[in-house]
Amino acid sequence: MKTIDRSYTITKKTVCPFCSFGCEFGLVFNDFGVSGVEYLKEGSSEGRLCPRGSAAAFYLNHPKRLSMPVKDGKTIAWTKIVKDMKKALEKPKSVAVTFDRNITIEEYHALAAFCRNAGIEYTASTYCEPEALLRQFLETPSTLNDIDNAEMIVVVGDPFNQAPMISKSLINWELKARNNRLIVIDSIRTHTAHFASDFCQVTAGTEALALLGLAGETISGVDIAAVSGLDGSRIAEIGASFKAAKKGVIIVCLSFAHCFDPLLLIEALSRLQQYSGKNVMPFVEFAGFEGNHYFGSIIELAKRKKVKHIFNFGELFPFYYPQLAHALKGVNMYVTSPIKQNGYTTLPVALNLEKQGSLLTSFGKKKLEQAVTPASGARTVAEILSHISDGAGQEKPFSAPSITVDVKAQAASLAQKARMSKKKTLTLLGEKIAYDFLGLLDDPVLKVNPADAHELGIRQSDTVAVKSKHGETALKAKLTNDTAPGVVVVPAENPDVRGVFDYEIMNDIVCFIPTEVQLWRKE
Amino acid sequence: MAKRIVLDLDLCCGCRSCEAACKAAFKGEARIRHGDIVGQAYLPLACKHCKEPLCMAACPVDAITRDEETGLVTRSAMVCIGCQSCAFACPFGVIDAPLVRHVSQKCSLCEDREDGPRCVVACSSGALQYLSDEEIELHEIGMRMVSKDAFFRRKA
Repeated sequence: MKTIDRSYTITKKTVCPFCSFGCEFGLVFNDFGVSGVEYLKEGSSEGRLCPRGSAAAFYLNHPKRLSMPVKDGKTIAWTKIVKDMKKALEKPKSVAVTFDRNITIEEYHALAAFCRNAGIEYTASTYCEPEALLRQFLETPSTLNDIDNAEMIVVVGDPFNQAPMISKSLINWELKARNNRLIVIDSIRTHTAHFASDFCQVTAGTEALALLGLAGETISGVDIAAVSGLDGSRIAEIGASFKAAKKGVIIVCLSFAHCFDPLLLIEALSRLQQYSGKNVMPFVEFAGFEGNHYFGSIIELAKRKKVKHIFNFGELFPFYYPQLAHALKGVNMYVTSPIKQNGYTTLPVALNLEKQGSLLTSFGKKKLEQAVTPASGARTVAEILSHISDGAGQEKPFSAPSITVDVKAQAASLAQKARMSKKKTLTLLGEKIAYDFLGLLDDPVLKVNPADAHELGIRQSDTVAVKSKHGETALKAKLTNDTAPGVVVVPAENPDVRGVFDYEIMNDIVCFIPTEVQLWRKE
Repeated sequence: MAKRIVLDLDLCCGCRSCEAACKAAFKGEARIRHGDIVGQAYLPLACKHCKEPLCMAACPVDAITRDEETGLVTRSAMVCIGCQSCAFACPFGVIDAPLVRHVSQKCSLCEDREDGPRCVVACSSGALQYLSDEEIELHEIGMRMVSKDAFFRRKA
């Protein structure tokens, strides 16, 4: 075999920034910079990486990477931006500081110190995904051994697609003994559902009720079996045998806009945890931080013109949630982002792979070595803070207000929403799939039931327009019986697709919910 | 010793990590692709490095050669004229027809990497394995059934 000279390549070990599993991988450098990733056998995932991890080098060298601050669509000098931000800070009561993914623990502490020093009161996380609320289950972390030792596993969602890192453990567990039971609760027939011994296909958006049913809860005025579309005796049998199983685990992978009430879902999970005495293993894309408030109250303050400027440190907001732009009209937004964001003052920021610090992961704190120098023009959050503030203040961690869930009232309203959505023509659900990230593979597809497609004159692979009250987008259709009639499913990684979803502010938390949509075939 | 990428279809969970790993390593051109069998199974398609490669026989300029020692079927990008004959000849449809760089893409079992193909290490469910002929004999590939679909069930 011919030999290839590899002497000019260098591999630097780093931690994957895309979800809280914190898989280790190596970044490979050649004479021209980062050339790709290397799979390290000694890493916590034994070298296995999901599509997002494999795409890390794409992400660093993305052609849309920003190198200068942008204001009103034009590049502007850092000094001018800093001047603007300092001016805004003269009235700290009108400034809100928010943050999302792509900040390290050290940067979070620096933000806390900055806010205290500058007198900023309104702070919140802008990571508006339901899994951010699963943080509470990370306090008693599960390990992959929990899967190996379990007799019965309850899965909510689709870990094979969303968190492929656990799929080997899950498959080996299922192969080990024939009496192992894998229960999958989801409203669509996913990859994971094909592997399940019991697949509970619930009515779209009602996972929370099915979980309450498993936990043996009865709610007056709400017929759990009828609303979720499951057999009552089957729910009771599964719940009882899960409680009786010596060892078990509840794996949760929450998708975007999949459930009508994410708060009730989290409450149902903790009730099932208490009832069965089993651990919850959450898949958390971002084991994030919390502020003094939730983002819903910042939106409310912005509407009342109390907040006039928002400084967002992270990478997703507002790019990922275009429908929130309408609610934040009139607010002066300064966002840090690696790519250009139209309509907002954007500051180029260094990515996690370009920083030194530590990351919060599902398996504890992980140290992050600086693998790459920040891209040209990009600055770290700490650098930006040192520009706009005069000195370091005393750091004091934020504490978010506690959430109270009124199970009876929220279950009744969820049942009402589920009944209403059945009467409507089509309900749009979101699905998270790792391979959709950065459009690395194919174009995203819209899953639609053949019965609905036939009625609308849509054929396989047609381009279909999807419209809701928030926006419109076009996707390729895939006709499949995996989705129930009246339900349409789209992968929710692309901001254009995310922008279609409706949201509701519950307990000051922004919750994206299944949305009524119209479909038609696009010529 | 000839080694090949072997797929245990029962274990594949369809996460497409293999395809992403290949695409990321080869400048956006995946040489392993993903098939979806009517929602029942997911089938990564990679070059089988056949003992009698039809692509090699079809190539008009002898760009495709087989190393008898390692069993590796390679294509020289310098010689390839982009006629697509190999893509049509391949019975498994694993040679990529879209000619991004005006030559056809073909799996080289990541010969630039010492530890074997990238798709195999990236595989999150352990369905793809890199085995020699002797190991394939010993391995029970496709004899364990995970899918609950009766059509695909082979072992109760």
